[in-house]
This record gives sequence, structure tokens and C-alpha cells, in this order.
Amino acid sequence: MSPNPIGSRVEQLAQSLAEHIVPMIVDAIDIDSIIDKVDVEKIIERVDVDKIVERVDVDEIVERVDVQKIIARVDIQQIVERIDINAIVNQIDIDSLVEQTELGSIIARSTTGILTEVLDVIRAQGVGLDDFILRWGNRLIGRGKKIRSWPKGPPLLVAPKTVASS
Amino acid sequence: MTTVPVPSAALTVGRQGNYAGAISRLAAFAADVGASWGLYTLGVALLNAALKLVSGHSFTLSNHQLPAFIVLTLWEFLYFTYQWAVSGKTLGMAILGLQVVTRQGAPISGRQAVFRTVGLGLTLLTAGIGFVGIVYQRERRALNDFIAGTAVVYDWDARAARLRWIARKEGPPGTPPPQEHRV
Repeated sequence: MSPNPIGSRVEQLAQSLAEHIVPMIVDAIDIDSIIDKVDVEKIIERVDVDKIVERVDVDEIVERVDVQKIIARVDIQQIVERIDINAIVNQIDIDSLVEQTELGSIIARSTTGILTEVLDVIRAQGVGLDDFILRWGNRLIGRGKKIRSWPKGPPLLVAPKTVASS
Repeated sequence: MTTVPVPSAALTVGRQGNYAGAISRLAAFAADVGASWGLYTLGVALLNAALKLVSGHSFTLSNHQLPAFIVLTLWEFLYFTYQWAVSGKTLGMAILGLQVVTRQGAPISGRQAVFRTVGLGLTLLTAGIGFVGIVYQRERRALNDFIAGTAVVYDWDARAARLRWIARKEGPPGTPPPQEHRV
């Protein structure tokens, strides 16, 4: 406030005028049309981004970041739960993995015994002969194609997709 | 290192839980007959030795045919029932990688094990006809499976077996890899 009473009144008048006039002026201005006239592309072209980036001290920003705090906020459990591990494992070609890595020799050394080897052979031969007998046994009575629609195994042990409908 | 060929994936991987076929089951049964008979013979020999030690007289069970038949029948009943009730597989089935399960694929109960053993005896009395279902029935069930409400599946970890084969395929340095085996 001015110490002069006349000056003070003028000041009050000016203030009240401004309070009325400024909103009227602002309302009168069409901001959208002004923005439309502005050539943003030209402004961007003028900006020297490299110069701005050069000024930024990235190291300082990185130093300011509290990585531990960010890690503490991350819910690892939730992330792990979201990952479909089965889908990832299914994509892995285990055969080539064993062939191409030392994993093969490790497995061989750790699990191969004469007895295991003999059992593996007997069982695999058995499975092959089982298939042969099933196939030819049914082919002989004219049901060779029908057996393809037979279920592979009990519903609790074989996934529904592999159980063919009869 | 071995030169055993690697069987095709179709014969190994993914077979766990599938219905078992005739040859595997027949081989398992033969192994069980051999094992149970061997144990019976051993038991009789030990009993003879024990009786001779105590009484000084030799006792031969085979000279008493009816008691011998009853003891053998009871022993076979116990051999199969106990093993099926406890683990769903006999010694022979464990060797061949087979397991008895319910029709749905769950472990069998003691009651089913008893029915299956009795059913096995009845199936043997049909002179092989009771086993025809293993080849011609859609769930590969023999007569004793129908009586007990069971099925037989492959139980061996074929995936691990295949990995062992592939691992062995490396062989010693300079050894050519064996060819894929097809039946």
C-alpha cells in the first residue's frame, strides 16, 4: 500500500479494473487458433538436442538413483509367478542341449551303470514290440486304423490333448 | 562306453502313463513267475534246513503234494497282492517299468490288489483267452483288469533314459555315433 491516500485509491482502482479486464481479455483470446499458427516442427528443428544432452550430467543422475530402493520395490515373486516356465522348457531342445554340451557326459557318468543300461534297452525293446503286436494284431482283424483313435492312457496320466476321441 | 543304439523318441519319450502292451506285460509276468518260484524254492529249502536242525528229520514239502500246492498258491497270492497293494507294481513290473493303476490312472487300493490277484488266477484258467484284451481292447485291459477295475501303464522315466542314450552316444574319442534304432 502507498502512503499517499490518492495514490492508494488509484492503485485500488487499477487493481479492480485489472481483475475485471484481464479475464475478459483471456476469454477473448482463442488459444487453439494461436497454437495452430505455431510451427512446432520449425521450433524443434531449431533446438540443438545434442547441446542439451551434452549439458546433462548422466553420471550424476545415475548416482542419484537409489537402485537398491527400486529393487526393494520390485515384487520378484509376482514376476516369477507370471513367467510360464513350462512354455520356456518346452521350447528347449533337450536332445541337442545334451549333445552339444558337457551335460551329456555328466549324465552318463552320474547315472549310467550296466544295470541301468540293460533296463533301458529291455524296456525300449518291449515298447517297440508292444506297438508291433498291437498294430499287427488289430490289422489282422481289419481294425488297423481304428486303434489310432484309442486313448493313449488313463485320463489322469495322459493330457487331454493326446487322448483322441473315439 | 557302450555301442547300444539310440531308440527313436517315439519309443521312449512321452510314453510314461501310456497303456502298456502285451510283450512288456508278458515279460514282466515271466519275471514274476521266476522270482516268486525262486523265492518259494529258497523258502522251502530254508524250512527244510531249519526242521532238520531242530528235529533231526528231513522234511520235503514236494512229497506232500496237496499241502505243497496250498502253500504255493498262498505264496503266489501273497507275492502279487502285497506288491500291488504297496506300490502298484511287482518285481517283474518294476524291471519292465510297468505299473498297475485304476481306470482313471490313480494308485490302486488293497481291495483292488486282492481282486486283481484272484482275477489273475481266473485269467490263467482261461488258457490265455482272458489276456486277449491286452491287444484288442481299447484300454489294453485283460480279464483280471476288468475284474479289479484296473489298467497297466508304462511307468519308467523314458525321457531320462533317452538322455542317457544320447549321453552315451558321445562314446570314447574317435568312436562313430551309433545309428537310430527302429523296431
